[in-house]
Amino acid sequence: MADVAWIESVLSGAVQAGTVYLLASLGEVYAERSGILNLGLEGMMILGVAVSFIFTNALGHGAALLVTMLVGGLIALILAFMAVSLRLNQIVVGLALTLFGLGLSGFITSAEIRKGILLSLNPNLSEAALVTQQAPKLPNIAIPVLSDIPLIGEPLFNQNILVYLSYILAIVMWFVLFRTRFGLSLRSVGENPAMADAMGVNVYLMRYIATVIGGMLGALAGAYLFIGYQPFWQEGMTQGRGFISLALVILATWSPLRAILGAYLFGGVEVLQFRLQLLGVGAQTPQFLLMLPYLVTIATLTLLSFEGVKKRIGVPAALATPYSRE
Amino acid sequence: MVRQGKRMRGGDSPEILVEMRGITKRFPNVLANDHVDFTLMRGEVHALLGENGAGKTTLMNILYGLYRLDEGEIWIKGRRVNIRSPRDAIKNGIGMVHQQFRLIPTHTVAENVILGLKEAGFYLNYRDINEKLSEIISFYGWNISPSARVWQLSVGEKQQVELLKALYRKADILILDEPTSVLTSQETTQLFATLRKMAGEGLGIILISHKLDEVMQVSDRVTVMRRGRVVATKPTRETNPNELANLMVGRPLITSFERLNKTSEKPILRVENLRVLDDKGLPAVRGVSFTVKGGEILGIAGVAGNGQQELAETIAGIRKAVAGKIILDGVDVTNKGSLFMIRQGVAYIPAESSKCVAYQMSVAENLVMKSFRYEPFSKSIVMDWDSIKQHAERLIDAFSIVTPSPSTRAGNLSGGNIQRLILARELTGLPGSSAPKLIIATYPTRDLDVAATEFVRRTLIQNRDQGAAILLVSEDLEEIMMLSDRIAVMYRGEIVGILEQQEFDVEVIGMMMTGARRGEAA
Amino acid sequence: MRSAIPLIRVQRRLEVPRRVSAAVSAFFILLSFAAAALIFELMGVSSVATFGVIASVFTNPNLLLQAILRGLPIGLAALGLSIAFRMNFWNIGAEGQLYMGMFAATGVVLLHEYQGLIAEPLVIVFMVLASFVAGGLYCALSAALKAKMGVNEVLTTLMLNYIAILFVDFLVYGPWRDPKGFNFPLSIQFPDYARLGFVLGSPSYEGLAMLLVVAFLVYGLMRHTTLGFEMRVVGESPEVAKHAGISYAKALIIGGFISGGLAGIAGFSVVSGIIGRLRPRASPGYGYTAIIVAFLALLNPWLIIPASIFFGGLIVAGDLIQASLKLPFAAVQIFQSIIFLFIIAGEFMKRYRIIVSWR
Repeated sequence: MADVAWIESVLSGAVQAGTVYLLASLGEVYAERSGILNLGLEGMMILGVAVSFIFTNALGHGAALLVTMLVGGLIALILAFMAVSLRLNQIVVGLALTLFGLGLSGFITSAEIRKGILLSLNPNLSEAALVTQQAPKLPNIAIPVLSDIPLIGEPLFNQNILVYLSYILAIVMWFVLFRTRFGLSLRSVGENPAMADAMGVNVYLMRYIATVIGGMLGALAGAYLFIGYQPFWQEGMTQGRGFISLALVILATWSPLRAILGAYLFGGVEVLQFRLQLLGVGAQTPQFLLMLPYLVTIATLTLLSFEGVKKRIGVPAALATPYSRE
Repeated sequence: MVRQGKRMRGGDSPEILVEMRGITKRFPNVLANDHVDFTLMRGEVHALLGENGAGKTTLMNILYGLYRLDEGEIWIKGRRVNIRSPRDAIKNGIGMVHQQFRLIPTHTVAENVILGLKEAGFYLNYRDINEKLSEIISFYGWNISPSARVWQLSVGEKQQVELLKALYRKADILILDEPTSVLTSQETTQLFATLRKMAGEGLGIILISHKLDEVMQVSDRVTVMRRGRVVATKPTRETNPNELANLMVGRPLITSFERLNKTSEKPILRVENLRVLDDKGLPAVRGVSFTVKGGEILGIAGVAGNGQQELAETIAGIRKAVAGKIILDGVDVTNKGSLFMIRQGVAYIPAESSKCVAYQMSVAENLVMKSFRYEPFSKSIVMDWDSIKQHAERLIDAFSIVTPSPSTRAGNLSGGNIQRLILARELTGLPGSSAPKLIIATYPTRDLDVAATEFVRRTLIQNRDQGAAILLVSEDLEEIMMLSDRIAVMYRGEIVGILEQQEFDVEVIGMMMTGARRGEAA
Repeated sequence: MRSAIPLIRVQRRLEVPRRVSAAVSAFFILLSFAAAALIFELMGVSSVATFGVIASVFTNPNLLLQAILRGLPIGLAALGLSIAFRMNFWNIGAEGQLYMGMFAATGVVLLHEYQGLIAEPLVIVFMVLASFVAGGLYCALSAALKAKMGVNEVLTTLMLNYIAILFVDFLVYGPWRDPKGFNFPLSIQFPDYARLGFVLGSPSYEGLAMLLVVAFLVYGLMRHTTLGFEMRVVGESPEVAKHAGISYAKALIIGGFISGGLAGIAGFSVVSGIIGRLRPRASPGYGYTAIIVAFLALLNPWLIIPASIFFGGLIVAGDLIQASLKLPFAAVQIFQSIIFLFIIAGEFMKRYRIIVSWR
């Protein structure tokens, strides 16, 4: 029986770690389907962490989640403006926004500044709340009956609200993308913007919407990483998870449903690395285990580039190409 | 019923669907349409006939809102309209099938049809949509499934999807731009049957074409254009191919160039049983063999996409052959790579200038792009910019390239001058050697104005007379018959026959381009 | 008739005159200062004081020398990046390549200390060579993956950054930890012969000389050699390169190797010129700043030198701000990224002319 409990806890860990990737890659699936490569995802995610850290302590979880998504959406709006309206190179703009996000997150969480922000949001905060590096974690909610299913019940249905939200989002976003006129327009804009334009689709608007959705979910992924998974602030704590999510979108072949599997796979790699450390593997030098997610990402990208595989995955034809009606 | 019912009632005079009055369109250096008048009736197939560059497509692009007119008026069903974009055109019931299909290959047939259609609602009920589409499909006797992905369809079926797009939007004015140029003969027959049926349903159909036989076969009326003007509009049954040819060309069809030297007997290029795959890994060239002698132009005729491009690229060393041999001057050069072929004196003029011109780099840099490895342009690894500039100035002069200076970015040149730049580079031998031994020219005059076309043709002839072997790939039958000494016709990756000069005949070559073997075609 | 609403159109410029380019850059850098000031004020930080500190870096000779020193790794890496970006090879991995350079340079020092195989004056030469090769191979890996299999280089170079940083962590927490270092994760202190400044007295002078030499070499490589010509054609389009008989893979891998190699030397300059030992997270993002510098300098090797000194100065200012104004170092990161955003936006103004007409 101990074995079952162990497997359950590993699976549960994979879901918990994977939800960060899932939320981020869901948004990125929409952005890329519309032709926008959001290399600023890492920056939006770390800002999401920082904002949710501050706002949870000042105003609680609900406000934190709202503000986080708002901030993510705003940064994405800058990306959309520069990449869509000004038709600038998406790689460079995205990178600049990632650097901006990293800088801003470090800035607002530094002791003095954070204290100022916290007090202006909520003057009644205790001294402890002003200096803490932590925040209360979102509670787990066990879903009756479902969570009693052996083996998968506990991992899938005894999680916090954001995990459940990610399930719903994956399904809804899949449905919208493939079964509605909005989704059809979105996909067409990423495949052949000139044609979509000729058929009466507003290319710019679709790209703005998709990018902003991507930014909001990227920031939400950051918020989940903090208040839903590891509620202890460290500068730069996303550690490239935003970039890894970009690779995951390729693995998911731009499908919201397939993103679930990829996300939990990478979540699994992350958990495995902790488990191995617990078992004493690399106890002195955990660095090689920490490299695992990045190595797996490179390996995945390489495997996906093999001739036969490449032909089948079908990257959006107009990805990272600006559109103008000249 | 598929359509709202026939709107052409017996007895009434036929309704005028489109009236274009005094349409004028200027492009830099060209007057593409010069006060053109054009009318389309309900229920007719109206052919718009003319040579390449006569202004047919320009006129229709204006009607479809792709170009703005400079002067003139457009009336549709009795109302004056201002068509600023394809969206406006669609609203006015106009549909257009372009030569290059505007379809998204990864989407299904149904998705391609309903894209941008607001009436479809937010939730796309594919059961209903597919049902409606199936109704239209079966009415016209087609055989496509609404849920098939477009990349899985044949060329003819893709064209049906384009028609479907217009029909689903209840268009009653349909423009088809050279619709048969990509079709096999069976597909052409089926298309014509469809067009007649549509006309019977009360649609007006405009067929842009430069092929006399099909105009005679399918149209009710024909408007002939030449150099941007309408020269005649006639009911088809009151005219004949000869008259149309005269109207269209306005001069004898084929002017031949005088030749100075005799063809040498020595084969320069020998291709044996060559097999090549395309980018998708499918067979593109399937066992092709031929020879080209020095001082000879071998024309490769065929509808685009029948393996000519892949054949040319393989001989130029850019694409790998999977089987067979390429022998240049008696030496096996199969799969030796492009650098090797350049060193052997092989020049290659690709169909698209984007494949061989670096637009951001200067004219001088582009001119030296193949010879920069040689003295005097570089010594060991150091470039000599002075001699590169002098070389550029010489070529700019010799090929009359219009450019502010050798250091101007190539991308700022006009299309004709970019083509001159390519010729200048390709046809000038490497330092220390004379002119190229073998020239592969694919569609060398596509999209060029008259002067530039003339220049390109003369230059090729000059090189032939100097003893070069030339492989000329073109879709333009007139051009290929004018320049070639022999013509090989390609169809589906194979050569269906090679004709000697005395056997040249438009009809025969045309038939062979749709797959008929030599004997059957004659 | 004038209407109340102006009609705004954008029109593509064919050729960008140098004057326009310079004016636009200058204008947008000023704009970025204003934007940064706004953000600082919003956060309740005095922008006047902040900019005062930054200005002082460039007026005080001692601080200016510091700025040059901190600008050295940025400039070297940016020179490398200018090659990669000209090839349209999006090397975002200068940071990782820089860590590999630090690793190799430190390795040479340790080898000499413990094994003593090389003559003392040659150690620094070998450090440079080893860091060049290490950074170069690290980058060539991504280049080869792109050239041979079409793997997207943006993501692979990014991932390799994290791996290189962890690898250096491993070394200083593990086998390379100084046995006499009270268990701190630090390598041994480099002896003088392994430090920059050995010849001219100050690492800043030697650094500046190094920057000038490398800029000269990069300029010569790109403008005056056949290899540079090939790399520029490859950057234009792989198809055009193939047509001209240029091997795309060869040019990309060699160019990638040189690009990463220069980032590797940047890593050498960090351990030998600035810190004098290897420690974890030894770079505050020099490799990322180098990307900004390469763009700000329009990939021109000569402009990279002043641009990198400016950003080196910002890092010096960052340290000062931390001490005097109690502001986090991140303030400098914000400032850097805002400059970056505004330079990119400036590109639009260079490519298009905005025409406002009253109709």
